Amino acid sequence: MNKDLKWKMESYGKVLQVFFLNLCMLSVNCIAAEVKGVVQLNYVKADEQPSWFDKDTGILAYSKDSANVQQALVELSDNFASGLSYVVVANYYQLGEQNLGISQAQISYKPLSNSKFRWRARAGFFYPKLSLENVDTGWLSPFTYTQSAVNSWVGEELRTAGLELTLFSPGRARNSPISWEFHASLFKANDPLGTLISWRGFALHDRQSLNNDRVPFAPYPSVIQTDRIFHPDYVEPFHELDGNIGFYLGTHIEYYKQSTLRYYYYDNQADPLAVSQERLYAWRTKFHSLAVQHKFNGNTRILGQWLTGSSVMGDRFVFIDFDAWYVMLSHKHKDHRISLRFDKFKVAEDDIFPWDPNNSDGQGYTLAWRYDLDKNWQIGVEQHINKNAADIRATLGQKVEINQQQSLAVLQYRW
Amino acid sequence: MNRFLIVFLLVSHVVQSKEISVSLLTKSDQELANVVVYFTPKQKQGLAQTHEMAIMDQVDTQFSPHILAIQKDTQVRFPNSDSIKHHVYSFSPAKTFELQLYKELQADPLLFSNLGSVELGCNIHDWMLGYIFVVDTPYFGKTDIKGNLTLDLPDGEYQLDVWHPRIKDKLSSLSRQLTLPRESEIKINLKSALLPDVNQYENVSDEFSDYE
Repeated sequence: MNKDLKWKMESYGKVLQVFFLNLCMLSVNCIAAEVKGVVQLNYVKADEQPSWFDKDTGILAYSKDSANVQQALVELSDNFASGLSYVVVANYYQLGEQNLGISQAQISYKPLSNSKFRWRARAGFFYPKLSLENVDTGWLSPFTYTQSAVNSWVGEELRTAGLELTLFSPGRARNSPISWEFHASLFKANDPLGTLISWRGFALHDRQSLNNDRVPFAPYPSVIQTDRIFHPDYVEPFHELDGNIGFYLGTHIEYYKQSTLRYYYYDNQADPLAVSQERLYAWRTKFHSLAVQHKFNGNTRILGQWLTGSSVMGDRFVFIDFDAWYVMLSHKHKDHRISLRFDKFKVAEDDIFPWDPNNSDGQGYTLAWRYDLDKNWQIGVEQHINKNAADIRATLGQKVEINQQQSLAVLQYRW
Repeated sequence: MNRFLIVFLLVSHVVQSKEISVSLLTKSDQELANVVVYFTPKQKQGLAQTHEMAIMDQVDTQFSPHILAIQKDTQVRFPNSDSIKHHVYSFSPAKTFELQLYKELQADPLLFSNLGSVELGCNIHDWMLGYIFVVDTPYFGKTDIKGNLTLDLPDGEYQLDVWHPRIKDKLSSLSRQLTLPRESEIKINLKSALLPDVNQYENVSDEFSDYE
């Protein structure tokens, strides 16, 4: 790389680093803490259908051709004592309502053990580990920028404030190629889960909701009118509305480090009749998630995930069954990574209000190339195309079925 | 005269040491690599003590080397060549410890004074497994991929021992008494099948550390 350019990039990198260090270094323990960060700046050639962030019905994040801060996050972690640690991820997002906040904060305890069967626990505000796509720092995807429909939804609406207990057995401790984990969690504060996919439908993006976030969507008359469902044209996904405790169960099975299967069952146990003063509803949402990955070697892998479930709000005011899956092939050649993903998603309604149509579906392709210039800097480009339909667009006088595409060029700095 | 004396001393030194080769075969006559082979002299006086620091690195979320053989009272440094944190531990009686290895901080080396095997794990990456094997002699090495080891040893009486985590045979049954320079080639055949090979954990590493 040109020396001047490299020097400039390093200087910018240092400025970013200092900025984010200052931002998060409230802790006096910061000297011993481990700080990781990722900043992604992009130029996007957006689709002509504006996004839900602009209160429209497109299912891609950007509405205008523009340069943006796509991601900016700091992950702070440290150990209090042997096996007792914390991780906090603080994010800045240019898109959306809450620009600065926390996307994950947890305390974990994993006692040292040489037993064949071990346990660990974590408490806080975190993701169930159901994704094999979001394995980079801060739950980002190292493969594509625009994430799968499945995990775009998980990132925007799902987070659990709770306690997770894990029993696990590392294969190597048993001289076996098979390792397994069993997870069980009790949680609160994820009652509105399901709102976005019921009305807007699945979307494809990388905007994770923050601790106190509000995700907007188009002002569908059937949703917002006082003589209709009378719900705001947004959702705040991390509310506790009924006092019920939700749960999820999960299992991971691994063959060496080569093949992985993760199955989760999630049920927020929400009371669909519970409604807040701002007229947010609790949605009883249940789903199964099955994720698999196989690495052919150190460089090439195939992975996929299937999500299927249902969500209900009110006295069956809205009832949907949803299904979404993706399959992705990713290959790394030296410092280049190329990933290609196919997504398919569908929401089918079976409820009492014909004037609130909730059927939606779509499919899309995402192709990304990412190139590591060095251990800090990465550049990449991505092309995404999809075809999607949402019956509810008709209530705004829009075409139900549209084709969308989005091109991204991204500069990333990590430390 | 002086020149003659030097030549004589050199020759006499050469005569006093002997190349010895050990080969180790499994029950099914397969070569076994990475076996620690060590020769403990009967006469221990005047044995050299190494002052070199040994290294057990963490590379691509694996211990490197997988098996490290060291002489008793050797210090071992645990650098971290990965860009992520490790938490190395051992419950082995020969050395019980835990060590937090931050990505850019150098931990103090540890002294290994007790004999035997030390099994290493990482509390963050459960698939990581490594061994340090501590011997009471400066004469040791590991077999190559063909199951062979060749060493130069001073003449004398020795006890030959081998160690590998997959060997199921009673280790004392594999032990040999030998006198140099009488013997030069030693073959050891294991009687029991090996424990399962799970070194495939080393084959496919991942640059992404999931949620850790």
